[in-house]
Amino acid sequence: MIQLIAFYLFATIVIASAAMVIFARNPVHSVMWLILAFFNAAGLMLLAGAEFIAMLLVIVYVGAVAVLFLFVVMMLDIDFAELRAGFVRYLPLGALVAIILAAELVFAVGAWSAGGVDLAARAAPVVTDKSNIQQIGELLYTKYIFLFEAAGIVLLVAMIGAIVLTHRQRGGVRTQNISAQNRRRPEDATRLVDPGVGQGMEL
Amino acid sequence: MVDLTQYLPILIFLVIAVGLSSAFVFLPMGVARLTGAHKPEPAKLTEYECGFPAFEDARSQFDVRFYLVAILFIIFDLEAAFLFPWAVSLEEIGWAGWATMMIFLAELTLGLVYAWKKGALDWE
Repeated sequence: MIQLIAFYLFATIVIASAAMVIFARNPVHSVMWLILAFFNAAGLMLLAGAEFIAMLLVIVYVGAVAVLFLFVVMMLDIDFAELRAGFVRYLPLGALVAIILAAELVFAVGAWSAGGVDLAARAAPVVTDKSNIQQIGELLYTKYIFLFEAAGIVLLVAMIGAIVLTHRQRGGVRTQNISAQNRRRPEDATRLVDPGVGQGMEL
Repeated sequence: MVDLTQYLPILIFLVIAVGLSSAFVFLPMGVARLTGAHKPEPAKLTEYECGFPAFEDARSQFDVRFYLVAILFIIFDLEAAFLFPWAVSLEEIGWAGWATMMIFLAELTLGLVYAWKKGALDWE
């Protein structure tokens, strides 16, 4: 009973906040609604028994991806009035995309009710006496080694790409060079002079 | 469906957190309304003499360096997330699984060395 209530609560909030992501006028508010949707999707995953995925959603999506989205939104210099203009012009294209997505949904439901192939069960046999994090580990690091390493390569490429695109040396900044400071000896910095009487100092 | 009773402590924490934070927000408002004078006026919200405007758009353009920091954070966050299932299933996956993770870590360490050498971790 509580699970049913929790399911409908999470599902309603996911759909409502997903709609608000689209309808919010301020893109920063859109990202906030997206974070709420992520949290509730994590709740749905919990109800489905995928606890590890739920925690991953909170840690990776809420903690990192949403922050990245926020940075991107803050970095863009958007003119909102211009962005909202041309609604009628883009309407046919948008409607086309919407129709294609709806057709895919219908096909997916049809394929699911047709059943038969059961690819998922062959690829990932369900063992119920273990926690799902352990099941993921047993499959990911044995059967799907190649995909796992490919994911690592993708992350490496993302990191190098971000550095190449955004990192540049800024001139005119004086940074602290600790090793140079420590290498400095008193004889490099000070000088003893012995001026004669009445001759004054020469620097 | 899973057994939800183990999440009861989290629910209790959540209720306490929401209750405390809303008390901190609304209690001073209520006390101020009841004890002080409440005369809102638009002139009170305008800037005082040569002060800066009190209410303006919070959006200002960020430096792209924040984005680089966020990207690096995501990558190492994911790396840590992959370590959890590996750690709990290490007994079953054996040396092959261990070597898999070591190769994965080596890939990302390569990226870390690159970032370090390029100075992407320095803020200046």
